[in-house]
Amino acid sequence: MGNKVKLRLGSRIIYVDLVHEMAEDLARKAKFPKAAALDIALAVREAFINAVKHGNAFDPAKTVEVEFVSNATRFQIRVRDQGVGFDWHRTRDPREEENISRPGGRGIFFMKYFVDHVDFVQRPGKGMEVLLEKQLEPVARSGEATKRRRG
Amino acid sequence: MKANVRHHGKVTVVDLSGKITIGEGDVKLREAVNSLLEEGRKNVILNLGGVSYMDSAGIGELVACYKRAVEKGSKLKLLNPSGKVQDLLILTRLQEIFDIFRDEREALASF
Repeated sequence: MGNKVKLRLGSRIIYVDLVHEMAEDLARKAKFPKAAALDIALAVREAFINAVKHGNAFDPAKTVEVEFVSNATRFQIRVRDQGVGFDWHRTRDPREEENISRPGGRGIFFMKYFVDHVDFVQRPGKGMEVLLEKQLEPVARSGEATKRRRG
Repeated sequence: MKANVRHHGKVTVVDLSGKITIGEGDVKLREAVNSLLEEGRKNVILNLGGVSYMDSAGIGELVACYKRAVEKGSKLKLLNPSGKVQDLLILTRLQEIFDIFRDEREALASF
């Protein structure tokens, strides 16, 4: 049996800290260790920023929906905007020589780094959905502290 | 995010603390560095020891500050990035463009 929480927010960057805190809090409740919960929150943060900036282009008439679903083995977050979408395959690798000193272009790269799986789904006529997923490690699932395993 | 400025002779150290993220931290970082560059400070160290984490906007602002410093003929170096920030600097290969120090005395002596 999983838990589901859904938020619908205006296209404003000011809401990003709320989304971040909720992601981190729900991840902790789903038994993710503190560091992994922060990773999840940082990935959600990037997806929300992208949805507001590039998806909805700050349009106040458009909203961003953030859905958190957790069960005993994984945490999934879906971030949906109402924009026209983009070809995420064409995003630049920020580690390539010509991109290292660019100020922007690291959002999607960070999402992929912080969680186990990222997918982009174009919803025709509705906007883009970003799916973020992180697996709960077996030790965390059993309720033991991860650091105990390392020791 | 908070930024506290100290001067050590020809070198300025900016002690940053909190998080450097979109909307607040990135703006404060930009304002702090711009202000020093406008004053004509040529040697600036950003002490990241108190920074818990950064997002892509924060990392982007760090790069933008570096570029503005170079344009003004100044040098911008980093001191003591914490675990998460250090990971991001390595991940993004930014440790290849920034001089990064663990010890403040070494950083001060490097200019």
